[in-house]
Amino acid sequence: MLDAAGNGTQAPGVRAVSTPAPQSGFAPWKDKTKPPIVRFENVSKRFGNYTAVDNITLDIYEREFFALLGPSGCGKTTLLRMLAGFEKPTEGRIIVNGKDTTGMAPYERKGVNMMFQSYALFPHMTVERNIGFGLRQEGMAKDEIAARVAEAIAMVDLGRFATRKPHQLSGGQQQRVALARAIAKKPRIMLLDEPLGALDKKLRNHAQFELMRIQESTGTTFVIVTHDQEEAMTVASRIAVMDHGKLVQVSTPGEIYETPQSRYVAEFIGEVNLLEGKVVNIEGGAADIAFAADGTIFKTRSIDGLAKDQQVWLALRPEKVRVSLDKPTDCPNSVAGKVVDIGYLGSITHYHVQLPSGQKMTALRANAAHAVERTVNWDDDVWLSWPSEAGIVLTR
Amino acid sequence: MRRWYLISIPYIWLVVFFLVPFLIVLKISFSQTAMAIPPYIPVLDLSRGIDGLKDFFSHLSFDNYRFIFSDSLYINAYISSVKIAAIATFLTLLVAYPVAYGMARAPKEWQPTLVMLVILPFWTSFLIRVYAWIGILKKEGLLNLLLMNLGLISEPLTIMNTTTAVYIGIVYSYLPFMILPLYASLEKINPSLLEAAADLGSPPIRSFWQVTFPLSLPGIIAGCFLVFIPAVGEFVIPDLLGGSETLMIGKTLWTEFFSNRDWPVSSAVAVILLLVLVIPIVLFQRSQQTQREAGA
Repeated sequence: MLDAAGNGTQAPGVRAVSTPAPQSGFAPWKDKTKPPIVRFENVSKRFGNYTAVDNITLDIYEREFFALLGPSGCGKTTLLRMLAGFEKPTEGRIIVNGKDTTGMAPYERKGVNMMFQSYALFPHMTVERNIGFGLRQEGMAKDEIAARVAEAIAMVDLGRFATRKPHQLSGGQQQRVALARAIAKKPRIMLLDEPLGALDKKLRNHAQFELMRIQESTGTTFVIVTHDQEEAMTVASRIAVMDHGKLVQVSTPGEIYETPQSRYVAEFIGEVNLLEGKVVNIEGGAADIAFAADGTIFKTRSIDGLAKDQQVWLALRPEKVRVSLDKPTDCPNSVAGKVVDIGYLGSITHYHVQLPSGQKMTALRANAAHAVERTVNWDDDVWLSWPSEAGIVLTR
Repeated sequence: MRRWYLISIPYIWLVVFFLVPFLIVLKISFSQTAMAIPPYIPVLDLSRGIDGLKDFFSHLSFDNYRFIFSDSLYINAYISSVKIAAIATFLTLLVAYPVAYGMARAPKEWQPTLVMLVILPFWTSFLIRVYAWIGILKKEGLLNLLLMNLGLISEPLTIMNTTTAVYIGIVYSYLPFMILPLYASLEKINPSLLEAAADLGSPPIRSFWQVTFPLSLPGIIAGCFLVFIPAVGEFVIPDLLGGSETLMIGKTLWTEFFSNRDWPVSSAVAVILLLVLVIPIVLFQRSQQTQREAGA
């Protein structure tokens, strides 16, 4: 967990801001008059006793890059496969483009195409034949097929490999063939099931930006399934976090990171310090929380529906927590602790601090300038502090 | 050195039990019939030294081969054997494909059991199983009894001692050899390929011809060769189930050897049969080779 979260903390903070320009101001989900391109209506899917998808209602809008994010077994792939037509919902309806598609076979669903996790390239066909497969099913004229195939091949930069068979290609090239094969159909909705799961990290980063480029240039609605929160943060306009077949939160990457609605989401996306406590005072937009370990009062922003004496968790992102050797005077919140571990990553440093109660907290410092304060070392007694607007109160 | 010993064992086996007997048959095919034991001349007599050896070679000739090619009986028997084997192979494929397809699509935990059931008949002697078909196919046999009791026919069908019975026998006997390679290649097909085909707009039947069938070709080729090659030389099935109209080279060979006691001619028949079969065997080896290379 530490490692996964450790990876996460750096990227989302940085990448969430670098979402490409055309996406900014793009928020069709806020427009109540705009019809969604995909609507899941109380959709459930059960396999025997096992409920894979549990009463999900979700709208996805045109031109969105929508990510379904969650650990394996959370139902995200089942949800995507129902949209593609490979699984039939046990209950509920799936409406695409205003049309109920619930009972339709995959081959009857025009305008919806999928890129498979295993790529599912036809091993007996060349790259060209693979990409042209979907077009041949439509009974398209030969020269038109050739033109569309050439266009798709150019889009994914596979010109030199057009006459090769899939087994003669590298993993990254196969991934691009799979993408081109679905794109060649010019779908309105493109489904991607863990499309980059088999690629190594460096290639994956490159492929993520390529996906975003293609999504923007074609204006296609992308629905991607991934278990990689960093990937979801990078590519998506909105993320649906799933757990045990249910939607936990559907928001933009920024909102998911900055204002998670539950401990599950806070911990799944990036790294977080969770301080358990009890609400002792609510005043205006602020709340006082008594730390469960020692009764220290934390001042923070309040949220709607918060009640006195309610058990809550204060979620603090490590980069919002400051480490200092002396007790800060300018900060309303601080706790004392001892440094147990330091992770120096060059650009940033992680400080793992143990509180007297035994709980560990992580603080993160960007090594932007030469340290103004004295360097913090192992076993130093330190103070962790944060402003009242840094944390977020979670009730579940 | 130790490795050489290990490799040499199968080679010695092949030399002693295949190459040497074949060379003996080849030699006999160049000899002449004689009322003697063994029933042919020349017999190599090394006691006479070089003269004996010269005498031996001077008596060898292609007469038997000339005889075989001048008599349409043999040529017809070869053609008819290849034809019957080819048709039987095709029929076996038609029966085996749905079976193998069903096996490959069956739940994973059932598949080993299904494979077991396919090879189960091998636990009973081949000869006994072919004999059993006589009881089924004869005029007052089980099949006719069943069809007549069901009221489907009023007169018993004549299947026994016809080429139809031979087809039934070959299809039955060689079915596992067709099913197993077909199953092996069908089972390897990633189910997501069919999903991808469907997703790209191909209905199930088209997906079968565009994806499943071409990907099962290696299994089809292997299965067809495994059935065709032994079926050409088949003797037991046409002998027990076929009638006088069924002309197959295996039967001709048997008659030549045991009824006519013409060892040289029957040896020549056997040598030609082998040459006829070398072509499909080489083709089979080739296809296996290219498959291995494609897989690597």
